[in-house]
Amino acid sequence: MSSTTIDISRTGFSSEVFEQFLATRSEPSWITDARRAAFDQYQNLLQSELDPEEFKRVDLRVFNAGKFRPSAGTVDSSSISTLLSDKTEFGGSVAHVNGQVTQATVSDQIRAQGVLFGELQGLMTTHRELLEPYFMKKAVQTDADRFSAWHAAFWTGGTLLYVPRNVEVALPLHSLIAHSRDGVADFSHTLIILEDGARATLLEETTSANDDIAGLHVGCVELIVGRDANLRYVQLQNWNQKSWHFAHQAGCVDSNASLQWTVVGLGSKLAHIHQDINLNGRAATAEVNGVTFVSDRQKISYYTQQHHKAQGTHSDLLYKEVLRDEARVIWRGMIKVDPAAQQTDGYQRSDALMLSDDARCDSIPGLEIEADDVKCTHGATTGRVDKEQIFYCMSRGIHRHEAMHMIVEGFFQKVYDRIPVEIVRETLSRTVQGKLGIESIAV
Amino acid sequence: MERVIGTDELKSGDRKTVYVDDIPALVIRIQDEYFVVEDVCSHDGQPLTNGPIQDCSIVCPRHAARFDLRSGKALCMPATEAIRVFKTEIRDGAVWAGR
Repeated sequence: MSSTTIDISRTGFSSEVFEQFLATRSEPSWITDARRAAFDQYQNLLQSELDPEEFKRVDLRVFNAGKFRPSAGTVDSSSISTLLSDKTEFGGSVAHVNGQVTQATVSDQIRAQGVLFGELQGLMTTHRELLEPYFMKKAVQTDADRFSAWHAAFWTGGTLLYVPRNVEVALPLHSLIAHSRDGVADFSHTLIILEDGARATLLEETTSANDDIAGLHVGCVELIVGRDANLRYVQLQNWNQKSWHFAHQAGCVDSNASLQWTVVGLGSKLAHIHQDINLNGRAATAEVNGVTFVSDRQKISYYTQQHHKAQGTHSDLLYKEVLRDEARVIWRGMIKVDPAAQQTDGYQRSDALMLSDDARCDSIPGLEIEADDVKCTHGATTGRVDKEQIFYCMSRGIHRHEAMHMIVEGFFQKVYDRIPVEIVRETLSRTVQGKLGIESIAV
Repeated sequence: MERVIGTDELKSGDRKTVYVDDIPALVIRIQDEYFVVEDVCSHDGQPLTNGPIQDCSIVCPRHAARFDLRSGKALCMPATEAIRVFKTEIRDGAVWAGR
């Protein structure tokens, strides 16, 4: 019997690519040194197996890293259209195309409050003492796996939001990550730090300039929420269906603080998101919302962990997925409660609605509880559209297509109701309608 | 249809991992017949790559689900759904496969 092992050069970047990348960078030596250390870790991690608990259902065999390279030089952002940027008034906006910043603006009023908002690398250079203790040290660790180390070695561009103590940013802020060229690898990083008592909202979206370009995104999101602070963060992933998306995302919530985090998955060929919610301080709260709509042969995988580390913490995760055609969604969720986290209230739920016979959804909730005075609940459902519901709608004079739209909208409504930003709810509703492609749905 | 392997690359009973239309697939030779099936078990969604081949069927190496190589049909529990079987042609000294 003969079998083929997967060529290791398909899974990552070589040292030659890394040196070529470094040659294009102009940055302080401490950043370069950190990259080199991360690249050493990356090369070691490439030789080891990925965690089977997290990756055994994520088929990476078709992924070929050799098709992608970091971008350098000028970029043209004129062909980029977005779902959110022109829909409401923003207090500031940062845009990255192919991993390079093309726009960074912030209102004078917000700047006068002492808020830092803009391109991460530039601000890391000018505010090293403030930012270095946070960057890939508090939330996402460089050596978490090969993707986090890959990101730490090659990160480019990125968005920073720093809000000082007791400052409230009234207007939402906007961040865009885009691809405009075929074969581009982008390693954008989002770092949000809210000091004690601060409040802010950041809406982030990803997009591709057109449907024909293949892109790779190896991203990282770090959300640091100080005591009594409140952060509302939305990431709307809307790549085209030729894009690969790997992301480590982590939030750290301190005492009496709250994090409202919405993850939207609409695009990509294959996406894997590792999402950690760390409730570090007493009475910290996190509400996590997930909206996923996949079609054709898209695959989206979520690996979520709600980690309760302190007393009286509260987490509430609700994911809703709609699948059609031959799409696949994998959700592996875990609520972890440390011995010290008594009076924890943890909840997680994932509901999937299947619109075709060939779609597949694997939902695996889990609990790991080491305290004895807690309330933790989890659950998952997967089901088809009820023919009786369609029949009932049609008997009331509603067209079959409109009935289907109503049922899908109704399915998502519970999670829409939890999304704290109206413009996001409206945008999602429109996008879902567009993605339904009702004609080809078989019930 | 795309070329997946030369006819001289496999002996009877051998297999090789290939990609057909960007889908991981196994090409398996039994005597002078070639089968190309999706390399994913319909039960647990993971590779069939190294599963034993028995009587023109492949057995999942994890939970022993068995699939007919001609039709893709699940022959025993725990699988209940078929695996994808690609159309094949032998021409120009090679095996060609497509959806």
